[in-house]
Parts: sequence; structure tokens; C-alpha cells
Amino acid sequence: MDKNVIETEITMGTVHSAAIEPYRVRLFVEDEIVKDAEITVGVNHRGVERIMEGLPVEKANSLTEKICGICSGVHLWNSVLVAEKGLEVEIPERASYIRIIVAELERIHSHLLYLAHGNEVLGHETFSMRLFYIRETVMELLRIIGGNRVQYGVPIIGGIRPRAELDEMKVQKIREGIDYIRGKVKEFADRFTSDPMIMSRITGVCPLNRKDALRLAVTGPTLRATGVEFDTRKEMECYDPFEFDVITQDDGDVKSNLLVRVFEIFESVKIIKQALKNLPEGAVVDRSWEMQDTDITKSYVEAPRGTLYHSYALEDGRVRNVVIRTPSIANIGAMQYALIGHHITDAQLGIVQCDPCFTCTDRAIEIIKRR
Amino acid sequence: MYSILGVIGTIIIGFIVSLWLPGLERKLIHARVQQRIGPPISSPGIMAPLKFFFKQTIMPYSPLPRLYNSLPLIGLLSVLFIFLFTVPETYQLGAFASIVAIVGFLKIEEVIYVFMGSLSKSVMSLRMPFPDLAKGAKHPNVQRSFLEDISAMRAFRLIAFGSFPLYIALFVPAVISGSISLGDIVAYQQVHGPILFSAAGVIGAIVFFIGYMILLNEYPFVILKAKADVIEGPYMEYAAKWRALVYIMRGFLMFTLATLFSVLFLGVPPSIFTWGILVNILVAVLFPMLMASFSAFAPIFTFKQFYPVTFGATILGVVALLAAFI
Amino acid sequence: MGIKSYARARAIHAMLVYTGGCNGCDIEIVNAVFSPKYDAEQYKIFLTWNPREADVLIVTGPVTKQNKKPLKEIYKAIPEPKLVIAAGACALMGGVYKNIHGDIPSEEIAGPVEEIIPVDAKIPGCAVRPEDVLAGAVSALPKLLEAK
Ligand code: SF4
Repeated sequence: MDKNVIETEITMGTVHSAAIEPYRVRLFVEDEIVKDAEITVGVNHRGVERIMEGLPVEKANSLTEKICGICSGVHLWNSVLVAEKGLEVEIPERASYIRIIVAELERIHSHLLYLAHGNEVLGHETFSMRLFYIRETVMELLRIIGGNRVQYGVPIIGGIRPRAELDEMKVQKIREGIDYIRGKVKEFADRFTSDPMIMSRITGVCPLNRKDALRLAVTGPTLRATGVEFDTRKEMECYDPFEFDVITQDDGDVKSNLLVRVFEIFESVKIIKQALKNLPEGAVVDRSWEMQDTDITKSYVEAPRGTLYHSYALEDGRVRNVVIRTPSIANIGAMQYALIGHHITDAQLGIVQCDPCFTCTDRAIEIIKRR
Repeated sequence: MYSILGVIGTIIIGFIVSLWLPGLERKLIHARVQQRIGPPISSPGIMAPLKFFFKQTIMPYSPLPRLYNSLPLIGLLSVLFIFLFTVPETYQLGAFASIVAIVGFLKIEEVIYVFMGSLSKSVMSLRMPFPDLAKGAKHPNVQRSFLEDISAMRAFRLIAFGSFPLYIALFVPAVISGSISLGDIVAYQQVHGPILFSAAGVIGAIVFFIGYMILLNEYPFVILKAKADVIEGPYMEYAAKWRALVYIMRGFLMFTLATLFSVLFLGVPPSIFTWGILVNILVAVLFPMLMASFSAFAPIFTFKQFYPVTFGATILGVVALLAAFI
Repeated sequence: MGIKSYARARAIHAMLVYTGGCNGCDIEIVNAVFSPKYDAEQYKIFLTWNPREADVLIVTGPVTKQNKKPLKEIYKAIPEPKLVIAAGACALMGGVYKNIHGDIPSEEIAGPVEEIIPVDAKIPGCAVRPEDVLAGAVSALPKLLEAK
């Protein structure tokens, strides 16, 4: 790009009102239009992969939960899956169903948070608050299941924590809860899409086309918003019994991104309903597995933000060679790219539309110090 | 003597009322729309500035800290002058109590934002210590500016076009009554009834309201201090009593503009010696409430939406002017 | 209660600084402010993003090395009297990141918060519950009110 075009550089972060997480974004602007962007992560680097090295596998699993406070359950789930795959543990079907219920509830809460944060950045405090209010219901459900609002820690190797077993009362509560959420989110979506002021703010803003999305290796709802039908859930065995659609939108702009999330909430509700209906009887945890050494095992799941990858090997019951790849690291490219050519006020919106979770992303990037 | 007492009394009353306005806005409208309890009415308008008065005064980080700190005072004074001109006791001052003078003082109000923006150097933008200047960066040698500089640029643009609706609306009553002096406008309305009840008056009032929201930088016209990018914009570095002044200035501007409306469109000047002041207070309370019910449902406008809205409002204002001529 | 502390009690501006950690505490605190269910504004606590306006600094996370300096700067920018509330296990003692490790201890954590700036109130929990945040903020208040 021609250097002369760029007038000045604006830096936001690491603490900023529109971005709750710490990260730095440098915007190169001319006449308030973003010409180029650079997102610096690493502020949040805590080296989770490194400190996991050599931990007993159960302890390591519970540490993965602390990678991210939004998708904590999914990290734990994937880490447990790695161990189970390596040790060839068969888990009871009931446990698998309950894990899926928790994962989908988590997707709902993550997407609601996304919508709320998006509205906050749009400047629409009212919608943001209403969405936070709806989100409270999911948090309450997660608290009922797991015992904690954020780190509920349901899966363990061999099944789920017995505490998270669903009895009749819990099932009933979840049913009521998701019905309420479905209704409320639908109301919200109708209001939202019929508001001309909001629509003019979000249509055509920060679009990402399909080709660029594939080139930048974007994943998750952000990819689906550009029209690519890809969802890791369709490739996961445990999702086989459930019938759901992969939601896509065409434009890849903020509007498409928001709508993808709204519809995915409905799909999640669908999955939870099916799971509750066909919940198999039986035990929830099978502790008969034996520890042995394994090779590096990989596992992919669909986190709320896209494909999440965990892999490690086991040696003496301790984890080795941990690699975690979170969806947001792939989406950073999309964030930088989507902003170009848009107004500064839309810039944060463009970042938020990709649903960044820099906390996930930052946990283990190797910062190479050169002399 | 009597009239000076009246002026001072009116100012005090206006001042007291203006302190309650932010709280009314927050508690009665925003909190209700958002289905929560909300803060007590006195908190945002009275207690917050009072609290800031009792905080330790620190020098703002700015190239000209004293000038920067004195800006809210200048703003407050110019608002005070506008308010003074609307008080009937000052109408015999002639040239001052006219629309042109008011427009002039409103301009000061806008210009200080430019200064505030360019003088503030907050820790929240460039001064945040973070090692991100690498040789391998995308554009290593670009000049870097503070977030507040963007605010200053925006304020500059707003001077150019943002206040058109308000100014045009101010001239509607002048055209109808055939004089730019406030005294004449009030006298005209005492004879012919409030201007608000004519076609031109209604359109003019709508345009005035839009201009009122723009001048107060309320959502959706909040781009000057949009949380999504510039955090608080020009006010970033005000601390302690200077921040209190900023709060008070805004509340008083709300009241003054509403008074201006009741003088120009209803023909009721504020004076503690008549019951008319109740009308003033009513308008001053109604305006923020109306504004709050708009702002609770609106996102921030970027310039893409801002231009058409102000343009539309300006056209509407011109229509009102034409209607006034006929 | 003098007018000074009365005014202080009726308008408290809180600023949130997030210094690492897992996002959980952070969102719970935003939740405490934003969600109408908790609605911090009814207890006269307002959220601000400007240190010059703030009275209370709520810090979450274990303070990573990169975040140490910004945190100090922000703390310095707040005019007296001010309160610092450390929220969450991470902010109190470095959390899992500092204390749990396998072969290699973590070298990324500069915290806990106490070692960087003085802390007036501590809210435990992983993640903190919004109710606790509000209770913690309220319990630390006397110090703010009685300050000169
Ligand atoms: S205390 Fe727990 S929830 Fe809070 S930031 Fe640390 S790990 Fe996350």
C-alpha cells in the first residue's frame, strides 16, 4: 500500500471501552477511514500450554478450563476427548448427551454475549442490557447443572462429573429455560432487524467475502456468515443422533454475522430439546479405564467461535507436547482485513463481529525475543 | 436593582433545575426502558459533580494544562450569557438580546470542543505503555495521534455542518415576527399567540429538537465522544473540579436551550416574577426526557448516517423558513 | 455524615481493568453492571472507562508482564481518593496460572495485583459472582468515604 495515503495512526488498547479484553489495535487512517490495521495480541499471554507440560492429566484438564471464561466448557470437553481417544475409553451414552447439552447451552450464552457486546459497541445500550438479561437465564441453567456460573467443569475422563447428572427437576428447568430464551431471542431478532437505524449501521459494514475468508482460514460462525457451509459438529460422532442445520448467510458483514449467531441459538435450542427428549438411561461415568502411555492424539470440536483443536500425548499419566489451537487465532486475519475501508467508529464493530476471544488466543503464543 | 435581583434569581432557579436533568434522563427514561431500577435522580446531576469537587486536583496531561482546564469555565460562561439574553430584563440591551448574539455564543460552545480535543493527551490512548513499535510493523514510520485528536477533528467537522439545523430553527421565529431581537419576538407572540402553533413553527420546533440533540452530543449523535472508539473524547483528561464543571456545563446547556425554545417558540421568557417560569421549567424537563426516549433506542451514528440526518433536518428547516415567509 | 462523604456515597465511578486471566471474572463484572438483573447503578455505582473519572479501580486477572506498566499508569491517573478492588482468584494470588504448573513454572505472571498497586478490597471466587462484586464494592466504601 502506498505509504503517503496514510495520514496518521490511531492506537486503541490495551484497555479500551469497546474491547473488554486487553489487546492492542493500531489503525492506520486517512480522513477517519481505516486504510490498514494491525492487531497485536500477546498482552494476555499466560503460557497455559507450557505450564500444562508434565501435569497429571486430570489436573491438566481442569487447567484447560481456565483458558477461556466464555467457552470454558468446550476447552475442557476437547481436552477430555483427547485423553479418551488416546486411552480408548468408551463413555456412557447418557454422559455424551449431557456433555452436548452443556456445550450447546454454552454456545447459547457465548452467542448472547456476542450479541450483547456487539450492541454495546453499536452504542445501543438498551438492547445490550436486554440481551444480558436473557443471558442470565443460561448462566442460571449452567449453574444448576455444574454448580458454578463460569467454570462449570462438567466432563471428566470417562463421562461427566456425577454432580452434573440431570434429574427430573433439572431437565424441567432446562426445558423451561430454553423455551424462554428461544422466545426472547426471537422477539429480539424481530425488533433488531426491523430497526432502520441499526440496519443502516450494520448492513454492508466490514464485509468479508467468501474467497478471502477461505484464504485467511477463518472458522466458525464468521466463516459461515460468508456462505461457506462448514461446521465441525457435522463431523463429530457424538452429534450423529441429532438433527440440526448448518446456518449460513451470504454477505459476511456485521449483519450476517449477527444473524448467523441468532439462528445458531435456535439450532442449539433444537439440539438441546432433542437431547432432553431422548436422554438415555444409565450411568453417567465409567471409571474402569486404565492409564497407559499414548501417542500424540488430536481432537477437534466446534467451539462457539469455530474449530478448536487440542492435542497431547500421555506419559506416566502426565501430559506432554500440548498444542492448543483456538478459533480466534484464525479469525484475527479476518478482523484486520475486514476493517479496511471503513470508518473508525465501525472498526471496533468490525473486530467484534468476528467474535474475538483474545484470552483464548493469547494463552500460549511463543514470543520470540531477539537480541 | 429590582431587575438585577430578578436576573440573579432566575439564573439560580435555572441552575438548580438544570442539576436535576441528567438524573431525570437516566432514572426515568433510560432505566425504565432498560427494565431496571436505575440510579437515584440526584446521583448523576448533583452528587457526581459535588463528589468531583472534593477530589484531589491533578494537572491534566496536556501541552497547555491551564488553558485546557479553563475551557469548561469558558463554556459555562458562554452558556450563562445565552441564558442571560433570554431573561426579559436584558431585552433593552438591544443588540445582545438577539438571535445573532446567541448564535455567536453557541459557536463558542462548539469551538471549545476542538480545543479540548487537541489539548487532551490521555493515558488511555497513545501514552499507554505497550511495546508494539516493531521494525516489522506494517507501517513503521507513520505519525501517531491520540484518540482525542480524532475527537477534535470531528468537532471541527461538526462546526461546519452539525449545528445547521439548530441555527436555521432559531431563525424561523425571527422571520415570522420580522425581527431578530428577542424582545420583539416575545412581544409578537404575546399578540399573535405562540409561534409553535403555526405550520412553520411546528416544523421549526422539530428541527430545533434535532439540533438540540446534536449540540448536546446525545445518542445517536454522540460521535464526538463515542465509546466505541474515542472513549470520552474531549473530556478525557478532566479530573476533580474541572470535571465537575464539565458536568454542570452540560446540564446548564440543556436547560438554556430549552429556555431558548420556550422564548422563541412559546413566547414565554424565564422570569421569577411571572408564572411563566413554570412553563420554562416544564419545557426544560420535557426536552431531556424526549431526548432520552430517542437515545435509548438509537445506536451511534457514524458520519455515513450523520450527514443525511443533518442534511434532512436542514432541508426541513429551510422548508420551515419558506413557510414562515409565506 | 458530612456532605463530602454523602456525595461520595451517592456517585461512585468504577473502572474495570482486565489484566490477563480467563475472561470469566471480567464478564461477570460487566454483567454485574450491565445486566438489569444486578444493575449496579441502583447502588449508585457507575461504569466508566476513563481513569480521570474513576474512584474505584476493579482489577481482574493475574497481571501479565505486558500489563504491569499500563496498570500502574492507570492507577496513577486516578485522582485521590481512590480504591482498588482485586476481583477473582487470579487477582488475589495469581490464580491457576501462577500456582499450578507441571515441569516448567509460568514466567509470564507479574502479579498478583497486590505486588503492583495497593489493594483495598479483595473479592474471592473463580469466577467471582456478580453479587459478590457488588458486596465487595460496597464493603470497601467506608475507606473511600472517610478519606480526606
Ligand atoms: S479467577 Fe478464575 S474466572 Fe477469574 S480470571 Fe482467573 S481463572 Fe478466570
